[in-house]
Amino acid sequence: MDMDKKLLVEDQIRRNKRLTIVVCTLMALLFIAVIFAIGYIYFRNIYIPLIFAIPIALIYVLTTYSFSVKTVLAAAKARPANPNNREEKLLIYKVEDMAIASGLPKPKVYVQDSDNINAFATGKKPEDSVICITTGALRKLNSEELEGVISHEMSHIQNRDILIATVTIGVVGAISLIAEILFYSMLWGGAGRSRGKNDGNAILIIIAILFVILAPIFARLTYLAISRRREYLADSNGAYLTRNPEGLAKALEKIKNDHPQGKPKGSKTVAPLYIANPFKSMSVSSIWSTHPPIDKRIEKLRSM
Amino acid sequence: MDPILLALIIIVIFVVVFFILVYWGFYNKIIRMENRIDNSWAQIDVQLKRRTDLIPNLMETVKGYMKHEREVLENVTKARSAIMNAKTPQENIDADNMLTGALKSLFAVAENYPDLKANQNFLNLQDELTNTENKIAYSRQHYNDSVLAYNNTIETFPGLWFAKRMNRKTRDMLTIPEAEKAVPKVKF
Repeated sequence: MDMDKKLLVEDQIRRNKRLTIVVCTLMALLFIAVIFAIGYIYFRNIYIPLIFAIPIALIYVLTTYSFSVKTVLAAAKARPANPNNREEKLLIYKVEDMAIASGLPKPKVYVQDSDNINAFATGKKPEDSVICITTGALRKLNSEELEGVISHEMSHIQNRDILIATVTIGVVGAISLIAEILFYSMLWGGAGRSRGKNDGNAILIIIAILFVILAPIFARLTYLAISRRREYLADSNGAYLTRNPEGLAKALEKIKNDHPQGKPKGSKTVAPLYIANPFKSMSVSSIWSTHPPIDKRIEKLRSM
Repeated sequence: MDPILLALIIIVIFVVVFFILVYWGFYNKIIRMENRIDNSWAQIDVQLKRRTDLIPNLMETVKGYMKHEREVLENVTKARSAIMNAKTPQENIDADNMLTGALKSLFAVAENYPDLKANQNFLNLQDELTNTENKIAYSRQHYNDSVLAYNNTIETFPGLWFAKRMNRKTRDMLTIPEAEKAVPKVKF
């Protein structure tokens, strides 16, 4: 791949990283805005709720982050790759190649017996990570397509996407919990304090209440936007590692046209780390998707 | 104390702390990047050695079948000796190229020996060698990527300033031998 192409990929990588910061900042601002709204409605002081909101958020994030890799693998019914099987031996070689290309320690390689073409990565840090590929993928993808998929998963590990996803989900959960606490406490007479006081503020209170009700929805949408952005980043970073965007593009095409038999396996919380969402039909892709539309991903890869 | 004087002292303290942190950050970054380069260089050697180590086993496996292909087999053995005896980096690279060429010929000729191609040991070795070729290519790629990232850091501002103070120079990237450019990564 010549210098011009390499720069295009690097530009894409930089752009994706910048946009992640933008969306994460939005999420943080949303969190702060919810706090201030609650403070205004309930305490007439926007800073007080920080006392309970920050510990809640911390507990949520730490809990989500304390997931066990073993549990994830068990839920997906994954097994370690078998070096005595030539296909799986070659898979292990390819994962090692990507580890060398990215400069990261070698992840453990697992296999999921499934007709779907899919793959996921998990693990709390690169030293402890796991890449899992379905037997369907091993069977249906050729060498360069498989490399594309592996490089995409390796990029997730390299960019700490598992960490980002769990922290973001934690914050979304915290926002939802806080909003719920407020809603129920208001239902049971908390807002009565405002009665008899200056009614001009009632409008602001209504706006604040609406905001708190809608905040969990906004939080979830922001999380999904972050998730999609990280998928584009994993695509572009993966293309950089292999110097071959066409490999992943072809693999995505095969995934798009694949009609697997049988229900997808695995827990829903891990779903965002899959290369293609196994729980939704490919034609439905909206602001509610964790993954960007497949056609757009293929287009971006082919433009590199 | 005069509040303006206090404010000024606080500002100065903040600025000094800020610069210390930035210096600390860049110093560590430059060191880390240099270590990464050294590590990736070592990785290339590891893979090259792996390849050389596979040769004796390969020779044992094919010599029974390819008795009459003396020249092809000798070329491989000669190349391997050249690698073991190489003293300068240039000799190393030349010997390495020789081995790549010799192996290509060997596997091309092996196509004419169906018994050999059915030998499980031979097939495993073929996989291993292809694997090692790929790993050599990727470790070279990683070396170049590490050098590029390092050069970018010490040539752009503000890294440039730190590099000058630490007396760091830009590093050279590897140029891939012509033979490998044609088929950079070997497919199984």
